[in-house]
Amino acid sequence: MSAYILPVIFVALLCYSHYKKVNNYDTFVKGAKKAIPLVVDIFPYIATIMIAVALLRASGITILLAKVFSPIFGLLGIPSELIELVLLRPFTGSGSYALLSSVLTQYGADSYIARCACVILGCSETIFYVTTVYTSKTKVKRLLYAIPIALIASVVGSVVACLVCKII
Amino acid sequence: MVVCSICLLIFSNPANVLSVMIGASTDALTLALELCAVYAVWMGLLEIVDACGLSQKLAKLLHPVIKWLFKIDDIETEKMISLNMSANMLGLGNAATPMGIAAMKRLDDGSGIATPAVIMLIVLNSTSIQLLPSTVIGLRAAAGSVAPADIILPTLISTICTCAVGIGLAKFFNHLRERHKGRGGQAISFKKHENNSQRGGK
Repeated sequence: MSAYILPVIFVALLCYSHYKKVNNYDTFVKGAKKAIPLVVDIFPYIATIMIAVALLRASGITILLAKVFSPIFGLLGIPSELIELVLLRPFTGSGSYALLSSVLTQYGADSYIARCACVILGCSETIFYVTTVYTSKTKVKRLLYAIPIALIASVVGSVVACLVCKII
Repeated sequence: MVVCSICLLIFSNPANVLSVMIGASTDALTLALELCAVYAVWMGLLEIVDACGLSQKLAKLLHPVIKWLFKIDDIETEKMISLNMSANMLGLGNAATPMGIAAMKRLDDGSGIATPAVIMLIVLNSTSIQLLPSTVIGLRAAAGSVAPADIILPTLISTICTCAVGIGLAKFFNHLRERHKGRGGQAISFKKHENNSQRGGK
């Protein structure tokens, strides 16, 4: 069902803009042209954050951190199997999806752990990635309280996720 | 942290450091190429959305929300923010990014310190409500789940919590900051005003 949503929206949009006498071809080209400079601008930021994350994972620091944090997460009701996922999620989208796949195969797609993992991924974002990419074209150097707030909100979301999965 | 992990690797596997870094950089390049393709599609479509006046309508529809969140009154920025928010809600994070970057550029005052509106946009994009977690459902279905879509309701509940906490905290701290500035003297607020009018002129 959901597979139909986007194509239908696209067709509706093109028909509407045609009706509004917009030249679809030229306008699309004009927009698509801006994609390359944008990617060139954000590539260094993506590369830096991905190299940092790869080093963190290769060195095993994330597993060490997971051990350190496990009592706190236990208090919050987040299963210890999911700590690495919660810790990695703010940094990398593809990395956390890879972790999710391994959780799904390891514990079974319908287990409590797997459902928790799915909901946690669904309600959180790659905070550090978003922040570095979004501010890449501005002069902003000091973000003040932006990241702590986003992290606190994500942890609250993860706690709620595990609770809701227990009930439903 | 990064330095620590390099140090750890020196003890465990020194030959690995450079190859890990280059491997990650290669991944980043692949990702950037993929993003370039995705952006080309979305930015082309968004240009059409903009040209036929739909983004203006969306911005007007979301105007009360955006004004309450960001305290801005500038139709161009509102257009970008409303597109960014809608794309995020539909789970199209990659479509939201170009608009978010453009909006961020307009919200930045060039002082090097994030303005309350910049912080709100970051928080909103990091805690955004996702109506349809399509990637996760796809992965679950692929792993052989009986009912892959039964995580939609729990996800909705927790994503609303995340978003509400994020917006609430950002609003609260922005408010504290404004009050602090108000006591700091009029010079700052005057300067800020000057900056705004300069940008309006461009």
